[in-house]
Amino acid sequence: MKKTGFLYDERYLRHDTGPNHPESPERLKAIYQGIKDADLLPKLTLIQARRADLKWIETIHSKNYIKRFEAACRSGNSTFDYPDNQICAETFETALLAVGGILDAVRLIMTGKLDNVFCAIRPPGHHAEYDAALGFCYFNNVAIAARYLQIEWGIQRVGIVDFDVHHGNGTQHIFEEDPTVFYYSIHQHPTFAFPGTGRVFETGNGEGVGTTRNYPVLPGQGDKEYQGLVERDLVPVLSAFSPEVILVSAGFDAHVDDDMSDIHLSTQGYSRLMQRIVALAGMYSNGRLISVLEGGYCLKRLPELAANHVKILLNA
Amino acid sequence: MFISKIMTRNAVTIDIDANISQAREIMSENNFRHLPVVNDSNFLIGIVTDRDIRSVSPSSHITGDNGMEALKRFSGIKIKDIMTKNPVALSPLDTLQDALILLQKERFGAFPVIDEQKKLIGIVSIRDLLREFVNVLGLEEPGTLLCIIAENKIGQMKKIVDAITEEHVSFGSVLVARYWEKGKRAVFPYLLTQNIAPLKRKLKKMGYTLLDPMDWYMDHLPQND
Repeated sequence: MKKTGFLYDERYLRHDTGPNHPESPERLKAIYQGIKDADLLPKLTLIQARRADLKWIETIHSKNYIKRFEAACRSGNSTFDYPDNQICAETFETALLAVGGILDAVRLIMTGKLDNVFCAIRPPGHHAEYDAALGFCYFNNVAIAARYLQIEWGIQRVGIVDFDVHHGNGTQHIFEEDPTVFYYSIHQHPTFAFPGTGRVFETGNGEGVGTTRNYPVLPGQGDKEYQGLVERDLVPVLSAFSPEVILVSAGFDAHVDDDMSDIHLSTQGYSRLMQRIVALAGMYSNGRLISVLEGGYCLKRLPELAANHVKILLNA
Repeated sequence: MFISKIMTRNAVTIDIDANISQAREIMSENNFRHLPVVNDSNFLIGIVTDRDIRSVSPSSHITGDNGMEALKRFSGIKIKDIMTKNPVALSPLDTLQDALILLQKERFGAFPVIDEQKKLIGIVSIRDLLREFVNVLGLEEPGTLLCIIAENKIGQMKKIVDAITEEHVSFGSVLVARYWEKGKRAVFPYLLTQNIAPLKRKLKKMGYTLLDPMDWYMDHLPQND
């Protein structure tokens, strides 16, 4: 069994998105409950949240953006940048705690104390850009983790696999010209889903050509398509890049029962996908894999999906 | 959406007395395919295109002395002999729609833009129009596209827009398209939100059919015979 970490903190529940918002604290409670009910907690190393040092946030976001975000929360605004981005007075702090917890998790992996980790955090990150919040995201958690790995731990090649059903525009744009970070995203085709980016011909710019890869899937597609693309595309492409560490933007909204998309990935389909990614980490990254929660909104399915996800990490 | 806003001002031009090699050089340097031909006072006299040049170019199969001869003759050709005189042109107060319809009818790739005196003030190409369309459709903003089938009667758009507004969602753009069923239109709002599910449920409850995007293909539009 692997040494698997589990980042979870009740303080992540404090980010209040209002009464009808899909990105609710209930999601995290459902995830925690699922992992608990599957008797997995005793097998995991529990990690608590910690406030991130702003200097790490600044490796990705502009100082001005960070100030704006903090000011918006302090002034009691209820939205920030777009009406989708519901915030409360605690949101800035929660976002800092999310990043801090993830960086701690990374540290535990890099010092050999853990093999892999699942970070059940809120708010999510992959839509957040250098200077804008978007799609319920404020700090790009995974992007910050990637830079932290490079700057603090000397990692050269970071592979990011994003299987949230929405394209991670933020993550892609941040590393679009960077050949040292590979961004691979599987998402609902941009013509049919938010945020409308992530077309197959977006493959990076300048020095970064070849280290961005988008695999859009059409509404109604599911297990068969995912299995095919993993074998034909994800595995060979990531293998060629040979990442030293793999970061996963783990969104569970491609599930057939999740309202936020028209994709029909099954629970087993999710497991198969994660197994292949874990196998890639085993082959190229010494097993080092950090999985960070992005989307996933079906409260009925999240417990099982989360438990399966963690079991795969434990049995890697 | 006036041409004056879409066009490229200070278009690269060529003088009426120039020859073909000069035209070719300017085009390849700037990567253009259309060159408005003007006189010293910048009046539009004609337009010369990449195709005009190619149609009088010697074949690359001709070699040796014959080749040199052909090339010499070619270099001496004046553009006033191959250009299109009095080309179709737009005025700055023509619109995006005018340009589109004209483009479809005339099969040109670009139009010079002239003022009332026929002085050249700019040029509009297909590329410029495409850029405007991407803008107008809001394609570069993050959002979600919906497809709603509505009856072709008064009041439908208002109901749809009201439903969307009640959910506090902003519009990126709206396209209304012909559909293949009699008496029905397809409405495509591009909405600036990720959280589309409650709105879809509401619209379905109101009795609208939301089209599964996989069902709607461009070739279902009525064909132009």
